[in-house]
Formats: sequence, C-alpha cells, structure tokens
Amino acid sequence: MKYLPLIWSGIWRKPGRTILIFLQVAVAFVLFGVLQGLKTGIQHAVDAARADLLIVHGRQDFIFSGLPLGLLEQIRSVPRIKLVAPVELFGSYYQKPENGMLIVAVRPDRDWTDAFTFNVAPDQLAAFSRSRTAALVTEFAAKKYGWKIGDHIPLVSQVANKDRSMTWTFDIVGTFTDSDFTPGQYKILANYDYYDQARVSNTGTVNHFNVAVTDVNQAVAVADAIDRLSTNSSHETKTESIRELAQQQVQQIGDLDFLVHAVVSAVLAALLFGTATMMMQSVRERTPELAVLKTIGFTDRAVFFLILVEAVVVCIAAAACGLALSTLVFPFAAKIVTGLAMPPVTVATGLALAVALAAVSAAIPAVRAARLRVVTALAER
Amino acid sequence: MRGSVLTIFVGVTCTVAVLVSMLAMGTGARQQAEGDVHDDEVMVQAQGAQGGFDSNISRDQMVTLRDLPGIDRDKDGEPRVAGIVFVPFEGHRRGTGRRVFFPLIGSSDVKFELRPPAHLTEGRLFRPGLHEIITTNACVRQFDGFGLGARREVRGVNWTVVGHYDQGQSLECVVLTDAETVMSLFNRNGFNRITVRLKAPSDFAAFNRALEANPALKLEAKPAREQVEADMKQFKGLLNFVSYFIGSIMAIGATFGAVNSLYSIVDARRRELATLRAIGFGSGAVVAATLAESILLALPGALLGAGLAWLLFHDMAVSPFGFSFRLDVTPRLAEIGIAWALVMGFIGGLLPAQRAARMPVTTALRAT
Repeated sequence: MKYLPLIWSGIWRKPGRTILIFLQVAVAFVLFGVLQGLKTGIQHAVDAARADLLIVHGRQDFIFSGLPLGLLEQIRSVPRIKLVAPVELFGSYYQKPENGMLIVAVRPDRDWTDAFTFNVAPDQLAAFSRSRTAALVTEFAAKKYGWKIGDHIPLVSQVANKDRSMTWTFDIVGTFTDSDFTPGQYKILANYDYYDQARVSNTGTVNHFNVAVTDVNQAVAVADAIDRLSTNSSHETKTESIRELAQQQVQQIGDLDFLVHAVVSAVLAALLFGTATMMMQSVRERTPELAVLKTIGFTDRAVFFLILVEAVVVCIAAAACGLALSTLVFPFAAKIVTGLAMPPVTVATGLALAVALAAVSAAIPAVRAARLRVVTALAER
Repeated sequence: MRGSVLTIFVGVTCTVAVLVSMLAMGTGARQQAEGDVHDDEVMVQAQGAQGGFDSNISRDQMVTLRDLPGIDRDKDGEPRVAGIVFVPFEGHRRGTGRRVFFPLIGSSDVKFELRPPAHLTEGRLFRPGLHEIITTNACVRQFDGFGLGARREVRGVNWTVVGHYDQGQSLECVVLTDAETVMSLFNRNGFNRITVRLKAPSDFAAFNRALEANPALKLEAKPAREQVEADMKQFKGLLNFVSYFIGSIMAIGATFGAVNSLYSIVDARRRELATLRAIGFGSGAVVAATLAESILLALPGALLGAGLAWLLFHDMAVSPFGFSFRLDVTPRLAEIGIAWALVMGFIGGLLPAQRAARMPVTTALRAT
C-alpha cells in the first residue's frame, strides 16, 4: 500500500507520454474487442440457437424441391415429435422492387408458434388465426413502411394467383419479432391455406416443414427417422436443426478465424514495440531517481516491482477502457445476429493480454532498474 | 533513439500491411467478377425479380424477345440469345467435406458460356438430353467428385462429368448443361434469365426502348457489366468498410505511438535544435525539418508493409461469404497504403514539431 503514491507519481512523471501510451493501448484493445468479441460472440449465438427445432427441407436444396403437403401426416407419425408445421416461402416486394418482402406462409393451427422462433402478442396471434387474409409483419418493416393494424397492403410477387394477378393483398393484424439466428427484417407471415388455394401452380407443396421435438437429446435420431420416410422417393428430405443451419451460415463467412488472428497479431506486435520502447526510455531517464530510491533503502526487488506494476496499471486501465468502447458495436451487430453480445471470456482474455503486454514490455527495463549500481548511476548526474 | 525509430517503423509496417491486404480482397473480388464480362452482353430478367432465382421468363416471351432490334446474329441469321435456367447443385468441399450449394446452369446456347476467353481444357462438350455436364476447373480444385467421368446425382438422375473448362478470371465453381434437360427434370417451363449479345454495346438504348415498349414483355434489361457491378456492390462495400474500419483504428494507434516516439526524438535533440535556432534558422524551418523527418520515418514502413502484403497474400485464394476469389495486391493499393502512412507521419509529427519550434533557445542550450 505504501508504494501506491510512488507508483502513481511514476505514472504521471511525464503525463504526455503516459496519456499517449494509454491511448495507443486503448485503441489496440478497441480493435481486439471488436474482432475477437464478434468472432466469439457469433459462436456463442450459434450455440444458443435451438437444437430442438428441426427444419425438413428437400435434400437437394432449399428453393425448388417443393415437398408434398402429404408428408405432413407421415412426419407426425414419427415418435417424439411435439409439433409439425408446413412452411411455404415466396418472395415479393412492396411498391418498388427494391423493397423486398419475404412471405412466410404458415398454418395457424393450435400452438403453431412452438415450432417457430417468432414472438407474437396473444391477441394478435388469435386475430391471425381468425382470418384467411390476415398477416403479421416484422416490427421493423411495419415501422419502415408505416403499416398499422387494419391496413391492407398489396405485395407484388412472381407467383400468379387465380385472379391472373401477381399482386397479393394482406390485412395486417399485428407485428412479430424473430429470435432466429439471423432473422430477416423484411418478413410477413401469411396463411398457408389462403395462399395455396389462390395460387395457380405448385399447389399442395411446401418449401419445408418445421418440427419441434419433445426431447432435444433425441433430435438427431428424430431427424434420421424423418429422412428415412422419403428415402428413394422423388422428394428425398434432409432434416437439420436450427443450430446446425446457423453453424453452416457461420462457415459460409469463411476465413474469419484467419483474418481475426492475423489482424490481432499485427496490432499486438506493433503495440508491443511501442510500449517496450517507451518503458525503456522512461527508466533510462529516471536512472538518477531510481538510484536515490536505492540509496535511501529500497531493495532491488522493490524497484523491480515498482517499474513492473507501473506498466501493468497503465496497460490494464487502457485495455479496460478500449474493451468498454468496443462493446458499443454490439447493439448494432445484434440486429443482424440475434443475442450477439460481448462475451465475458473475450474481456478476460483481453485483460490477460494487457498484463502480458505490460510484463513483456517492462521486463527488461525493470531488470535494468533492479540491477542499477547506485554509485555509477549517481555519478552520471 | 533506435527504439523510437523502430516503434514508428513497426507501427507503420503493420498498419499498412493489414490495410493493403484487406483492401486486396475487395479489389480481387471485383477484378474477378468483372474480368470476364463482355460489354456487348445484356442480361434480361423478369420485372422486379430479386436475384435470378425468382425470375421466370416464359418461352413465348423468349420468342418475342429474339426479334428485338440491336441483337447480333450469327452467320445463319439466328439471333444470339441464350436462355438460362439455374437450379441449386450440391457440392462438398475438399478436405472439410462441408456442404455448399452453387448453381447448376442450363443454357440454351452453350456458345455463350464458352465465349473466349472461356474455353474447354479437357474432355468434350455435353450432348443435350443425355444428362451430361461440364464444370469449371475451379470445381475440381474446390470440391470432391468432379473429375472426368464422375457421376453426380440430382433429383434421382445420374449426371456424368464429360468436360472441364476455364472461365477466364473467375474462380467460381460453375456446372453447365443444356437448358431443356434441366427444365424437364425440374418441371420448369421458363428461364431465369436471358443473355443477349448486341451488335455493339451502344445498341443497348435501342434494344431497351423496344423491350420496354412491348407490353407483352414484362422484362427488364441491364448491360452485363452494370448487372455484375450491382451484384457486387453490397459485397464489395462490406469488404471495403471492414478494411477501412480496421485500417483506420490501427492507423490511429500507430500514430499515437509515432507521436510518443517523435517527442522523445525531439527531446533527445534539444541542444542540436537550439543550436540551429541560435545560428539563425527560424522556427518555421525547424517545424518543416521535424515534419519531414517524421514523414520520412513512416515511408520505409509503408514500403515494407505493402511489400509484405504482396509477398504474403498476393494471389492467395480465399472464400469469404461464399465467394471464391484471389487477393489482388495492385500498385494502386500500395499507393493507398503509402498515402495512408504519409498522413500518419504528418499528423504524428505535428505536435512534436511544434514543441521543437517553441523550445526556448537559452534553456535548451543549457540542457544536458
């Protein structure tokens, strides 16, 4: 404790230099926090994605292999399944082709939302199941286009309906939020039966089925059982959990690990040079003062730790500051990936790195200070 | 002193190396996407279609479109128009076995797809109706099971790989066959896209006017280059944003380091600087000299950084966000990196130069 004032005055001996080192370290850790934090955070978000929610889609692809609706009853017969829901997807736009809206057609059966990642208010959920043309839109899209409950909105699609028109009209009865791994912001939930009966071609098919299983540990077995139903048929299926799909999405990003490691290493290498040089310089300038300290009875070890702790304090404070700043990007990133937040493990790693940085850059000057010979040091004055 | 110089050098080197290599991704992606574009080609899709997959162009529309003005004709007088249909095709990455989808392209006129510089390198062309495919050499390198004679199953039908071809710049895996075979297998009655070759790029206006004037054709046309640029815009914007974001933060950090180093360089030289002032150099000259020194100190780091980026990453194949391309470290990027370093040197030198110029001559001369 008695050393605290001494360390403090050591830090502020040259305020300009300390502030610059502080800023340099802080900036480096902003970058570390953003890159490493996003990388680890995305992996955490994948791990948090639901493994008990399965998607049954065509084995070849997601887009064209429409599955027959008849598969619904077959999948229901598979044991350990809580709920099966058919889902049809089709693209559309509102007013201008740039304003894309993905139409998700579902059946508003009892408890249907259990097989989805959507959150809807109960009264709006009830309103959605009452009318065939009812629709729920994402809060984001409702706000952007100024849609209110009761509005009739026309969406233009590439699917013709029986009125020989490409325009589909929906009545908005509420809004929803999506907690899927990467929820699209422009989505509209519509009634499958209304859509299927009104369209001209491909009737009686769905894009995929959502399946909620009763026991998450049995999810893989259930998925295999579902895929066995259609083996060797013209519509073979592939069943994957939402978590597996999220994992694949992350792999699509590709060489992220390499990039993050390369940049972080370059930043830390450059930083190490800066801090090490400054510490060296600081000790050199302070040679007479350190000699005086030794003259009045400070041990070699005390001087060694004085220098070391000084560096650790500056680096930790700066790193904490930088990491705190880097958390500012997470609210923005969380709009794209649900639940993305600064992982505590990244903060811990960052602070540990800061200590290591201080120790490495202060080691040589601290040893030099400890070995200082009082007579020669004082003689240099 | 040596330490201070080294700090500036290493800081600038790392910053420039990272900035240049990251920008090289954007340049590489663009270079590849636009390298194979022919200026006389036009892409046509259904009005308002979002990307190609939900665009549907009927055969009737195709017939009408063939007679529009401006379209080039071959020696038999046939208009050069190709209907394209694409469906997803599953592949497994070499090594990792990771599943990836890319389009299986059915073209009604294979000459379009194999227009030079694209050319067959191995095997032969597919024969229509026989479920034969040809693939780019990139497929063979990136995925399993694309060797000559390999069989791939799509919709319960076995397709045989009968040829390999090169696309020119592109590293994308493309699997090619004839449109009719794909359409009958997938019960499709229309194309996703039509590619048209004009007599000259300048004929686009006439072609587009005729297209828009025909009420039976609810189609929209774009020159191929514009279409590719639009497709790339978002991706390239993202890459460049990330590059400059990281590059800027690193530059700020390195500049702080440079300021600190220059301060100690100036401090160590107080007597020399004071002597200069004493023998008649003005403070302007001292500022200029310090700034020049700072900028010159940044320069070798910039050169080494750009050089390292080139040595380590030029031509390296990467595949972020499902795109595959090679990093391209161009002289232009090296220029950006060097400019970046000079700005760092300049800004880093400003405060120390001021201190050097403001130092009272008498006290500085007495300094040890």
